[in-house]
Parts: sequence; C-alpha cells; structure tokens
Amino acid sequence: MSILLEPSTRIICQGITGKQASFHCERALAGGTNIVGGVRGGKGGSRHLGVPVFNSVREAVDVTDANATIIFVPPANASDAILEAVEAGIGLIVCVTERIPVLDIVRVKERLRASSSILVGPNSPGVAVPGVGTLGIMPQGIFKRGCVGIVSRSSTLTYEAVNQTTRNGLGQSACVGVGADPVVGLSQADCLERFLDDEETKGIVLIGEVGGISEERAAEFLRGRVATKPVVAYIAGQAVPEGRRMGHAGTIIHYGTGTAQSKIAALESAGVTVVSSPVDIGSAMADRLNAPSVGEVRQ
Amino acid sequence: MFIFEHQAKELMRESGIPVPRGLVATTESRAVEAAGELGEGPWVVKAQVHAGGRAQGYFLNDRHLSGVEFASTALEVGKAARSMLGSTLVTPQTTGQGEKVHSVYIESVVKTPLQLFLAMLVDGDSGQIACLATTKGGEEVETAVQVHPEILIKTLLGSTDAVSEGVTSAMGSQLGLTPLAQESLTCLIAQLHAMFFEKDLSLIEINPLGVKDNGSVIALDARITVDDNALYRQSRLAALGVRTESGSTERIASQNGFNFVRLDGDVGTFSSGAGLAMATVDALTHLGARPANFLDIPPVLEVSRVKQAFLLLLADDRIQSLFVNVFGAGIMRCDTIADGLLLAHLEKPISVPVIMRLAGTNAELAISRLERSGLPIQFVNDLASGAEKIASLQKEPPVSRPRTGWFGRLLGFRTRRHASGKS
Repeated sequence: MSILLEPSTRIICQGITGKQASFHCERALAGGTNIVGGVRGGKGGSRHLGVPVFNSVREAVDVTDANATIIFVPPANASDAILEAVEAGIGLIVCVTERIPVLDIVRVKERLRASSSILVGPNSPGVAVPGVGTLGIMPQGIFKRGCVGIVSRSSTLTYEAVNQTTRNGLGQSACVGVGADPVVGLSQADCLERFLDDEETKGIVLIGEVGGISEERAAEFLRGRVATKPVVAYIAGQAVPEGRRMGHAGTIIHYGTGTAQSKIAALESAGVTVVSSPVDIGSAMADRLNAPSVGEVRQ
Repeated sequence: MFIFEHQAKELMRESGIPVPRGLVATTESRAVEAAGELGEGPWVVKAQVHAGGRAQGYFLNDRHLSGVEFASTALEVGKAARSMLGSTLVTPQTTGQGEKVHSVYIESVVKTPLQLFLAMLVDGDSGQIACLATTKGGEEVETAVQVHPEILIKTLLGSTDAVSEGVTSAMGSQLGLTPLAQESLTCLIAQLHAMFFEKDLSLIEINPLGVKDNGSVIALDARITVDDNALYRQSRLAALGVRTESGSTERIASQNGFNFVRLDGDVGTFSSGAGLAMATVDALTHLGARPANFLDIPPVLEVSRVKQAFLLLLADDRIQSLFVNVFGAGIMRCDTIADGLLLAHLEKPISVPVIMRLAGTNAELAISRLERSGLPIQFVNDLASGAEKIASLQKEPPVSRPRTGWFGRLLGFRTRRHASGKS
C-alpha cells in the first residue's frame, strides 16, 4: 500500500505535448509509471511518447478509464484545465504549473468543495511512490522504496529530504509536494492523515517554510492523537529576516503569524522533532525510528 | 507587486470609494502649489514608498523626520517635501537600507472621530477572501492586535464575486458601529471585494479608515498589492509596476527573474528553488557562518542568466567565499550552472574560495567540466559538508586573508573532492 498513487492508478497528462511535460512524462514512463494517455486540444487522435492523445479530458477518461491526471498547462489556462479534470470526475489531480493567479485557485477550490476530486498543488513537484511511479517533475533515480513518508511545500527541499533518507537507507513510502503557492489543494495535515493510515509508512518527514499557517494546522491535527509514528520536521527560512519577500508569495508574513518560531513551537508541542538545520532531517528520522515512543497520547 | 498610496487611492476613487483629495509632487515648488490647489490647511505630506509604517519611520539624513508629516502652512508643506524628496526612508517594513523617496503625496487633513483598520486578503488557510477589521486603527494596530487578538474581527467573504450582505452587516455590528456606519461599511466592503477580483489583488489595506459622525467612511490611507502572477491580464496595473525590491542589486536580480535578498554577512550563496535557498541560508547560519544574500534562481534557465547571477554575487566586495548549492531536477541541470560559472569567471575572475554542492541531473558532467577549468572550487557531497566547509573557512585567521591573492587561494584549494567520493 502507499498513499495517493497505486500500481492500478491510470494516469493521463494534460498538456502532454509541451516541452516540460514531454521531458518528465518520458522519464516517468521509462521508470514504469502507468501513464495511459495525454490531452492536448487539436491533437486528438495522434500519439505522443507512445500513448494516445485526446482532445479533452472527458474523451481521455471515456477511452482510457483514467483516474489521475498531471497538469502541465501554462498559467493562464491551468485553472480551466483543473476544472476540466474535476468535471470529468478524475479523482487525483496534480498541478505542476507555477505562477497561476491566486484568485483562479480560490475559484477552483470553491468547485473542489462540491466534488470528490483531490487537487495536489498548484506549483507542486508532484507525487512520487518509489516502485510505483512519479506523477510530476521529481527527478528519477534519487528514490529508494522504504518506510518514510515525506510531505513538503518546497520542491527542492523535497529532493533534499529524499536524498538524505535514501542515503541513510530508510527509503520512502511516498513523497508529496503539496505546492508552494499561498492557496493549494491537499494540505500538509491531509497528507499526515494519509501517512498515519498507511501501513508501509513508519515515520513521517514534514518540511515547511515561513508564511501561512499550514504547519500550525498540521500540528493541530497531530495534537491529541496517539503517537503511532514519529514525525520529524524542518521549517525553512528560520535565518531569514521576517517579512522580506523570498520568492514564494506564501512566505510573506502577515500580521505576526506564520513565523518560523510559531511553527516550531506548535509542532514541538505536538510531539514532533523539529531539526534546526536542514542537514539533520535524515539522521533525526533514523534516530526517532530507532527509539520509538509509540502509544503515547500527544498533548 | 506593490503600488504607491496615491495610485491605490486613484483605483479606489475610480471604484467609487471615498478618499481625501490629494496631489502628487516631485519638487518643493510643486508641493507648495499643490497645497494651494487643495485649499485650506492643515495638510499632510506623505512620502511615497512601497512599504508601510511610514509614520513610525525616519529618514537616514534626518532622524526626526518621519514619512508622514503634518503642516499648517503651505511653506511647511514645501519644507517637508524638500526634506523628504531624494532622501531615504527607513520604516519597520523596509529593509535596513530603506527606500528612496521620489515623490510625496499631499492631502488636506481629514479628522474623524473613529478610525478603523480594514484589510482584505487571500486567506491561504481557507482558500477564501478574508476581511480583517478592528476599531483600533492607526500605526499601532499590529501591537494592539498582538496584545489583544480578540479585537481583530476576521470574516471569510467566500470565493465568489459577490459578498453576502448578512456577512458584512454582522461585521459592522461586531465592531459596534452605528446603523448608518454599518451601512457605509457594507457598501465599502462590497466595492472593495469587487475591486479585489476585478484587479487581481492580493491585499487591500486601509489603515486608518475614517468614520465620520454622519456614519460615512473615508479611506485615509491605502495600501494595495497586486498579484504578480496576474499581471499578464492587468496590463494597466503592470504599467505602474516598480517591483518591491529596493537597491540596485535587487533590481538587476528582479529584472532577470531571480529572487535575491541582501543579507548582512560575507558568504555569497547560490541556489535553485526558494526552499533550498532558504535551507542553505539556514544551514550556514546554524553553524555560525553569515550569508551575504539569499539567491534563488528559477529553473528553465539559459546559461547567460546563470552567468548574470554569478556576476551579481561576484560584484559584491563583501563576499569572502561562495557557496553554490544546487539540486538539478527537471529542467534545471547542473551543467548549466557549471557553464554559467565558467562564463562569469571569464568576465570577472573568481578570487574567493568556492564550495559547490551539485546533485541530481548532470552533476557528474558539471563537476568534470569545472575540475578541468582549474578554478578554486571544492566539491562537496551534501549540504551538511558544504556548510561545514564554509564555516571552517570563516574560522581561519582573518589576517592571512588580505595577503592571499587569487593565486594563493587557488593553491590553498587544490584539494578537490569529487561528488562520488566519501565526505
């Protein structure tokens, strides 16, 4: 078992003929990811990377029975692409596109509330389940099938955590980049819930960054629950001066909340081991797995 | 993207939102004239910068002058304008370097018995538009809210283009407003909300919002942030665009699409991805090293822009060492980084030790290319050993440093480590 992505998941790619999409889908296919088709308006009926291309998501679903999609559509059309996937009943929608206007995603979220689809992203590196596949832009060849579930807001730090847990032999059960934008679909707390329910996952790495209150929400979710699995966290931006613009809109700090200190305090009070340097993520996870304190109720 | 107060007020005026009359001036004489055109005093002269906290701020050349000055004669208006124009204002919301003032905004002073704080922004937590309000408007609002969080009223306005009237009138009564003022507030919130969607804003802040005895409201200050990602469809606003970054290095960086922030140390840092860039700064700081900057290069880059980024760092004479931390993934390939560094070196020879951590796509290729170049580079396997290397460099006695030229440093850094070796 794993989370979000299973061997039976049938994946399509929206915008498959684009340069980025082709680059990543080609590698994903070579790595065994079950991509069954692609969508590109006007190119229906052709083939690309050895899979059929359709004019619409609806058409692709009718023919391939797809239940997941990876979206590589440019920002101006990306929210329409997400909505198209929702209307076609796709269960898992991963959106890699960055720089989508935030109000477009506000509208998308409104629509998602009335559906059973899950949106990962936007501005997400995607979902990877070693041994099953990669849905997104995560690099091939750094993963190792194992027991650590990784959830992160930042793409590059996801790879950093993957790298460290591969090198110390723990490996990963699944990795989810929830996206670096201020408004995203699936939250870090949602991922924790899935990882806690997943048998293969023995420990969880949570990577956050200053801004927003996603990490505080994750801590809230853990509090009061039985500590069945150790959680290690790192919050990026601790040494960065408060309130400065750091490239992610989500890191702008509004009204004194969302600071590294508030996130660290919230997570620690929920029994999470928070490392102060990103170099210690992998070793802290190994330490916690070797000395588990299972069964205690989190405060 | 930030816009100036006078631009924000112009947008509000167009949307039918009451704002005081005001005029922009870029010279002292125009400021005096403007005061006359606005009629009777007193007036307020406000420095136009892309930051809040102006009344709490000070000018670098005159610590007694703030960014918001009151004047009772036209002569005083001119004097305030003269002192502000061309000077640098530091506020709690600018960086320590402050921001240079190129224009001032002059308004007739409007006195109101009640001043609210009102803001509208995208709430990441709920994915909706949130409206924040408190009766404790003014410069001290942040402290007031910090001490008494209960005075801040937060209301979610939903995700669609219209606000329900029930929601806003509930806000008005929570704030303890008179029925007439409640009505004005309901109308104002509907106008702001429509503007928010129409103009693709990410923040509107009115602090203070004056409430008059007759219940009408007036936006005495205005701060608006436009969603950078939506500028492609907001061409009029995009044309107003001066980016938030101040300082020439930050401007060059922003023109090239880099995220650059100047910090106070002496280690140049170079990363791709905001998360990894922040982690790089964190890891160095954790070991006592002091980063000179935060630099995040977006992926999908031509070699020429990587070169630009390195040149930007090398132009900073505070830098005593350079730490490159790149995880090649997707379109960002390590060999692009290597080529960019080599090209930068041709233009401005690198004279400081360089520690490089290259991982992911084409790391081996990049390392072998750089090794052949003879540049003073030490390669490390991971972020941990890279940060340690930098920290140990800094602990070397500083007296040896001025005497060691580029060649000396090169000799000192002959020992290179291959990425596939053990660290």
